[in-house]
Amino acid sequence: MHDIVDLERRGIPGVFVASSEFISAADAQSRSLGFPDVARVFTPHPIQDRTDDEMRAYADAALEEIVAAITRG
Amino acid sequence: MTTSVNRFVLDPTNERRASTMERVGRPTSLKGLTVGLLDISKARGDVFIDRLEERLSEMGADVKRYKKPTFTKPAPVDLRHEISVNCQVVIEALAD
Amino acid sequence: MNRPTLPDGLVIVVKRECATCVMVVPVIEELINGPLPITVYVQDDPTFPESLARSHDADLSVSWHYDIETVPTVIRVKDGVEVDRTVGWVRDEWLKITGLSSLGVELPDFRPGCGSLSVDPDLVDELRVRFGVSALAARRVEVADAEDEFEAMFDRGWTDGLPVVPPTEQRVMRMLTGTTRQPTDVVAIVPPDLVEITVEKVAINAVMAGCKPEYLPWVIAALEAVCNDTFNIHGVLATTMPVGPVIVCNGPGTRAIGMNSGMNVFGQGNRANLTIGRAVQLIIRNVGGGRPGEVDRATHGNPGKLSFCFAEDELGTPWTTLSESRGISRTADAVTVFPGEGPRCVVDQLARDPESLTNTFAACLRTLHNPKSVLAFDAIVVMGPEHARVYADAGWDRDRVLSEIHARLQIPGSELIRGANGIAEGVPTHLSGMTLPKFRPGGLLLVHAGGGAGLFSAIIGGWANGDIGSQPVTREVRA
Repeated sequence: MHDIVDLERRGIPGVFVASSEFISAADAQSRSLGFPDVARVFTPHPIQDRTDDEMRAYADAALEEIVAAITRG
Repeated sequence: MTTSVNRFVLDPTNERRASTMERVGRPTSLKGLTVGLLDISKARGDVFIDRLEERLSEMGADVKRYKKPTFTKPAPVDLRHEISVNCQVVIEALAD
Repeated sequence: MNRPTLPDGLVIVVKRECATCVMVVPVIEELINGPLPITVYVQDDPTFPESLARSHDADLSVSWHYDIETVPTVIRVKDGVEVDRTVGWVRDEWLKITGLSSLGVELPDFRPGCGSLSVDPDLVDELRVRFGVSALAARRVEVADAEDEFEAMFDRGWTDGLPVVPPTEQRVMRMLTGTTRQPTDVVAIVPPDLVEITVEKVAINAVMAGCKPEYLPWVIAALEAVCNDTFNIHGVLATTMPVGPVIVCNGPGTRAIGMNSGMNVFGQGNRANLTIGRAVQLIIRNVGGGRPGEVDRATHGNPGKLSFCFAEDELGTPWTTLSESRGISRTADAVTVFPGEGPRCVVDQLARDPESLTNTFAACLRTLHNPKSVLAFDAIVVMGPEHARVYADAGWDRDRVLSEIHARLQIPGSELIRGANGIAEGVPTHLSGMTLPKFRPGGLLLVHAGGGAGLFSAIIGGWANGDIGSQPVTREVRA
């Protein structure tokens, strides 16, 4: 999240993607970094034991939300 | 040593900016834009990111891949600078 | 960085660049065979002296922490503690510190040493940052190696549109030598965000503006003068009118720091004039949060909003100075701040008598903002030396000049009411029977400045005066 905050500060719209395990941690950290609205998208958890196909399905499922987070469509 | 001392400056502002930071303006679409895909170097993330790259390319975006050395720390400042110079938007993945 | 420990025995600090150090190399060679362990630190060339084992004090840590001011320095260390030292080459001193009875018989009895690299003026600021415990509280912002440091200042929104000097810690430390005040002292509450500003933050912005340390007390005084309800910098910033803080400097210090009060007094070319005012405006932007297009709603603004700061020509003036007229001793340094637009020129190349010249000033001042506007705005008359001479020859003092101008600006209400002279702008029609002054009492300030040639003066128009707007403020400058 630090990276996205820094890049936004440099004028680059950004989003970070994490698993749903991170939802509450991301809320806390975004507030502490002074950027509560920092764009983030969450995939299902877990990640580590997923097959390649399952990972690609996660990506497909998250894509629309990711694009929405970095555009004003 | 001179260099490292000089690469830090003292913040001239009231240092309140962080508390009011808001998202910068977004483009209307990614078509024709350079999209930075920043891999945080966690296992399995690469498969996810490969797929995002495929899909984003299909949408007409020009994808540039970046990888930070470790997910445990912020990306090195030079990498962040490089991304900010070369990309119009950035996606960082995948934390779990 | 921690203070390095010195080994017991004799510690000798040298540099190759120093002829005395080169001269004593044979002496140090003699000492190697003596009873005390010898440790040689070399500051510059790590291969010097070739004949001896040595350590390179590459970061000058040993030299800095042990206050080496001269090379060679010989320190006698016992149980980790310095017990004696000598500098340069004084045979008797070296004999005493080594406990030997004969040394360097080929050499003269005495030769002074050279300056240590650790006190080199070019390095000392950096070393203070490297080894000092920083007293500075500001957030450190890293500039990426690949980033241009000047571009980085723009990227972070810290500039007024011109490049700024990157405020490194060593530059800020050097700036702080310009004041006796502590970095943590609060100078003012800066509008529009009403943020307390410390001397340190003033110094950071003064570095960025390009100030020298000796300008810092002037920046501090100007900031104190604008950040209060009387001057009302918030209103001056937020107004759609084209005004900004105009800083008029008085006192012997203006000459000590090299301010311009003469030729091209409002123009380019003088560092103090241009950077003191700029520092104040950078502070309003960076600390106060007052940015153009945000709180600053100026329709046109004026180029003086980058910096509009100048000194009165006190040595040439026939009158009391501006700050004297406002209660400050002529021997003291002071700033007077005024909410001003850009200067306009008053041309009168024929007047030989004060009445005629005063008529010109009155006629020009009448048009300020609108010939039909009265009482709402103050102005500074910046009298050029050739115009001032006309008054001096006639024996008119400051008060006489101002009262004669005022006397000529008592205007019949019938000329000022709405619609009069085909101009909708004007005062309410019920004032038609009154006589109204263009300026309120005290609403004209008189300053003597400009080049010695040219029968010209200048007028700096103001902003809404009084309690609803801004009042000029004068403040003494203190070190």
